[in-house]
Amino acid sequence: MGVFRIEAADRPHLVRLLIIWIVLSAIGILAVLQLNYPPYDQSIQGQDQSRTLALLTALAAPVFIGIVLMILYSAIFFRRRSAELVDGPPMLGNTPIQIAWVVISAVLVLFLAVFGIATLSSENVAQLVGAPGRTIGGGQTGGGTTGEADKEIHIQVIAQQWYFTYRYADYGGVETTHLYLPVNHPVELHMTSLDIIHSFWAYQLGVKADANPGVDNIFHVTPQKTGSFQVRCAELCGLWHGHMADSDGQVLSQSDFDTWIAQQQKDFETITKAVPSYAPYYFPLPLTKGS
Amino acid sequence: MVRRLSFVAAGVVLVIVAIVGFVGLFMLRQPGSLEGTNTTIHLETVAAVGQALEWPRPNDPHPDWVGYLPTTTWKVPANSTIQVQIDQEDGASGLRNPFWGKVFGTEGGNMHITYFDDKGNPQEGDMTSIDPTQAAHTFAIPDLGVFVPLLGVNPNAPANSTNVITFSFKTKGPGVYRWQCFVPCAAGTLFGNGGPMSTIGYMGGELIVS
Repeated sequence: MGVFRIEAADRPHLVRLLIIWIVLSAIGILAVLQLNYPPYDQSIQGQDQSRTLALLTALAAPVFIGIVLMILYSAIFFRRRSAELVDGPPMLGNTPIQIAWVVISAVLVLFLAVFGIATLSSENVAQLVGAPGRTIGGGQTGGGTTGEADKEIHIQVIAQQWYFTYRYADYGGVETTHLYLPVNHPVELHMTSLDIIHSFWAYQLGVKADANPGVDNIFHVTPQKTGSFQVRCAELCGLWHGHMADSDGQVLSQSDFDTWIAQQQKDFETITKAVPSYAPYYFPLPLTKGS
Repeated sequence: MVRRLSFVAAGVVLVIVAIVGFVGLFMLRQPGSLEGTNTTIHLETVAAVGQALEWPRPNDPHPDWVGYLPTTTWKVPANSTIQVQIDQEDGASGLRNPFWGKVFGTEGGNMHITYFDDKGNPQEGDMTSIDPTQAAHTFAIPDLGVFVPLLGVNPNAPANSTNVITFSFKTKGPGVYRWQCFVPCAAGTLFGNGGPMSTIGYMGGELIVS
């Protein structure tokens, strides 16, 4: 059994492969960097995720191209032309090549680890890690935060089989069927569930967090572009899980948001009095029949 | 040589184009829309489908399950006004989320109801919400924004009494819209949402708009 080495006759193949790989990889990297990656830039946090995805795709492109290139090149240049079955030469390995792939892989993985840690510790994403269960200001009788650009709006996301509703703690605890947010205003989302485990996924905002019964799961997001976004459940939750979605999430200008929330307070005034006072945990006791 | 190399390069490009094309085409699909006319839906809600007053299903595999009758799949025209009458025969079991005690998404934002008060006397009127603890079921088509709570029959009402709830709503373009009850009314199941709440044909179904 001999040591694997590239024979002189095969060197032209290696050179050709290398040139094609470098050219296609360069084109591939440039091409994938031109793409617009989800969840796009509707929120600061979503933009961070898009940039990370672009970087990962750019790093993965040469690897993907290299594998496809190798398969196709081998299939075309080294395919068996006769029906005769012959074993290839036995090979043990090649130390320089092994060192090279271990070092290159380690550098890539370490770079991604450092990049990931730096991103997680950045100001935007560090806010994502909230202290679960802390008290929220506002409450049932709380006033609005209109004009207080730096103060976070507290919104409770209530998952239930099979719909999401939203309670605005700073606006009298009014509950709504759609999630509307003001642009350029930090928002503190509190995910919880009235029954089983759901997952709140506001796709374009880059928000995805579990909604568990009896748990207050906190996520911070700052929308930076007006427009609509989609909401759906990302945790298989029963018969109508596939329909637990809403394409009418909206990021509005501050004035439009103020108008909208005032209308909601008016429309739902009667029923707001019937719902429990706002609290981080929203887990009403089961009533008679479903208990 | 050049020909074979160009095959290799073309192959790599083809694989990438195929992947991008598949994702792009899959994500760009859009439904269309049609015109329609008025339609009426007449329903009955009962505590046990085997003992309904109007459309009993004694041979149902689950005759003691709560349910909507006579069916839970309805075909209606697009962009139309749908008149709904629900003969509600079940008692109150209450909403877990009291928010669903409000009527919204109907024409006029209300419903018309005949019911029985605490003294067992018949009453009638328009309502925009009910006491969430007195809800027996809800009729909700979330994608159309229609949510209607159904008042439970008062225990002091005469035997075999029925609350009659009427309202109307508008459909959008063609599609399949699920509807469901938001009262956890499936007795004896996890959070009241198993059994008939999780089986099409009882407390949920589809509105086929075409």
